[in-house]
Amino acid sequence: MLGENGAGKTTLMNVLAGVYLPDEGTVSLDGVEHQFNKPADAIAAGVGMVHQEFRLIPTFSVAENVVLGSAPTLVAKRAIEDEVAALAERFGLATEPGRQIWQLSMGERQRVEILKALWRDAKVLILDEPTAVLTPNEAAELGRITSAMADDGRSIIFISHKLDEVKEFCDEATVLRGGKTVAGSLSVADLDAGAMAELMVGQATDVSQRRSRTSEIGNQVCSVTDMMVHDLHQRAVVNGVSLTVAEGEIVGIAGVAGNGQRPLADAIAGLVKLTSGTVTLAGTDLSTSQPSARNAAGLAYVPEDRIGVGLAPKMNVTENAMMRAYRKLSSGSLIDRDKARANGERLVSEFNVKVGQMDSPIAALSGGNLQRLLVGRELDNEPKVLIAAQPTRGLDVQGVAAIQRILLAQAADGLGILLISEDLEELFALSDRLLVMHEGKVVAEVDPDTATRSEVGRAMAGA
Amino acid sequence: MRLVRRETPLKGGQVRAFAAGVVIALVLGAILLVSTGHNPAEVYAKMLDASLGSPRGWSATLTRAVPLGLAGLAVAVAGSMGLWNIGAEGQLIAGAIGAAWVARFGGDWNGFVLITAMLLGAVVGGALIALGPALARARLGVNEIITTLMLNEVAIRVVRYLVNGPWKDPEGNNFPVAPELPPQSALPGFFERANIGVLIAAAVIGAVGFYSARSAWGYELKIAGSSAKAAEYVGISLKAKILTVLVLSGAIAGLAGGIELTGSSTRLVEGVGGGFGFAGIIVAALALMRPSGVAAVAVAFGAVQIGGGAIQTLGVPASIAGILQALILFGALGAAVLTNYRVVVK
Repeated sequence: MLGENGAGKTTLMNVLAGVYLPDEGTVSLDGVEHQFNKPADAIAAGVGMVHQEFRLIPTFSVAENVVLGSAPTLVAKRAIEDEVAALAERFGLATEPGRQIWQLSMGERQRVEILKALWRDAKVLILDEPTAVLTPNEAAELGRITSAMADDGRSIIFISHKLDEVKEFCDEATVLRGGKTVAGSLSVADLDAGAMAELMVGQATDVSQRRSRTSEIGNQVCSVTDMMVHDLHQRAVVNGVSLTVAEGEIVGIAGVAGNGQRPLADAIAGLVKLTSGTVTLAGTDLSTSQPSARNAAGLAYVPEDRIGVGLAPKMNVTENAMMRAYRKLSSGSLIDRDKARANGERLVSEFNVKVGQMDSPIAALSGGNLQRLLVGRELDNEPKVLIAAQPTRGLDVQGVAAIQRILLAQAADGLGILLISEDLEELFALSDRLLVMHEGKVVAEVDPDTATRSEVGRAMAGA
Repeated sequence: MRLVRRETPLKGGQVRAFAAGVVIALVLGAILLVSTGHNPAEVYAKMLDASLGSPRGWSATLTRAVPLGLAGLAVAVAGSMGLWNIGAEGQLIAGAIGAAWVARFGGDWNGFVLITAMLLGAVVGGALIALGPALARARLGVNEIITTLMLNEVAIRVVRYLVNGPWKDPEGNNFPVAPELPPQSALPGFFERANIGVLIAAAVIGAVGFYSARSAWGYELKIAGSSAKAAEYVGISLKAKILTVLVLSGAIAGLAGGIELTGSSTRLVEGVGGGFGFAGIIVAALALMRPSGVAAVAVAFGAVQIGGGAIQTLGVPASIAGILQALILFGALGAAVLTNYRVVVK
């Protein structure tokens, strides 16, 4: 099951697994129509799903997690551990049934999830982006496990947006885009990566939507050199990225979610530490500076998570509007309430944010208004560079247009923008240069005036 | 019937909810009183009169509100950044121990110096016992609820050890009590039965409440309480904030212990904590974890306690009086839900 983020893969599979009810349509297994009102119905019919976020109890043992919900009333711990071990052995799943989940690596936890499904005798096993959390060795191990299961006569649905994996793991592929099947039951052996990429990302964009450049691109203002960032599991999530942004330039970053865009943005803004490499802004090395120092030096950041990172959910409009400026709005150690209120009202009117009351919590604002407040606040201090991560995601058409207008106007005024987006159309329309990230690396740089979508799509998929 | 979350909390809802809860509790209490053969009107009149009906009543109520308010403030300061200090009781005891320790050296100091030193000792005592949980939380992410809760038990046992062992009064007829404090350590009177502890507590609660509501420091605390990630995004050091807030919280609870010792008792005894530290959690919850709301709640809580004690002179058993107090607090806490939720009948 192949498709971009948001193509509907997980949703569709959640219907098959009984998590969601379909409004229309039917689910059949072996020619028999089923209605799954709850996951237990699907499990009883032989459908198991390994979700991206594992459903395991950290302080229970492997065996306890495997049998949970289907265990006999009286549990003989030893006997169950032996049974689980026997099952694991049958499919070549290396596991220690007595260990507790929190002690295990992500790969081991995933094997527990697979064991859970096998314990319930799943005939159809759905794996939702199973390799996202795995190391390359663990991914290869998973390949062995799935082929052992297929040899045992079970069906496996493998959700992915990585072409190489699909080629490696699967016999057939179905491609989803925008909630629709664009190609069903393709024989993987006959397909090349380019064709699959094109099916995933769709037709070339309308050229007329390209922005007309109104200003010259100036001097380089921000540079990232050989950046490495590791996550908690010591995986290199940003793996040697170098890039530059110049005054008035919009540099786009394309990529499937989870290929290092978020840690890249966070590391430039100072929210996560660099393992190595440098971040330079207007000639000043900020690689080890605090987020506030980077902001003071002219780096603005519209993070992917508007509420919870960029904005504080329980606080009101005025308080959120002064998150960057509250020190300046203070006299001594006390915040000047009049100035704070004026600051908020000014931003709200300048960026056309529709708010009920200035002192109502921002949770009451719509997505578009939240984003205008956040973008407005970040632009208020005349920054030199803006990192805009998924700035239009989830907004309605007018909301998208408003944010894009603001970005273009700011770039025309000389602001350098690093635009991280999953929306190729947006990237093609706004970017002066377009970089593609895959597995923590910049794998391609293209000119959006001449590049095609399938070219970018292929690079996104690592082909 | 179900509860639906309000988009924005009801304006002034806390006061209204509190009133509604009290009214419901009084009605339920009246049923209880009638069924046990008492006249509710008489009992309620006595409660009100004994707590808020005279300067003498006010002095008793305010004296009771001092440890409640300070302990509530301690919990609320931590709570405003999303931390749970369940150890106010232990910190209060540690404060009393700190003050009593100072008094062991200061028998011949003048009153002002001795009292000041004892209260400082109390602040340090409370801060010290909170330092461990603060460091563990800030550096290692250890849940402060567990550590502060467990340290209550430690503090209770330490004071028991002291009054049964090294600090035991040789002239105490073998009772587990520390020697009497120097007479000049008693807090000077304020009015009727109240001492200047009321003024000290009011000043501290007022200052901390004002500062956390209006200062950049308090604003940062609020961001951290709203979202840790947003705090990091702005560049607020969470570790430093956790450390200062939990230590400050302990210091405030410690001060409550010091005021209790110098104001309301003559010597260190096992029961010095008096449960005020635990009651402080209820006070803070009723104040919605806002330091600025603690004072009013503490006075109301104190009045309920004093009034509940007074009605025993009418022959109302202590157990019934206890149930009445519990009903009122329970009603007020329960009704507080309505500020954030509305009831939909369907």
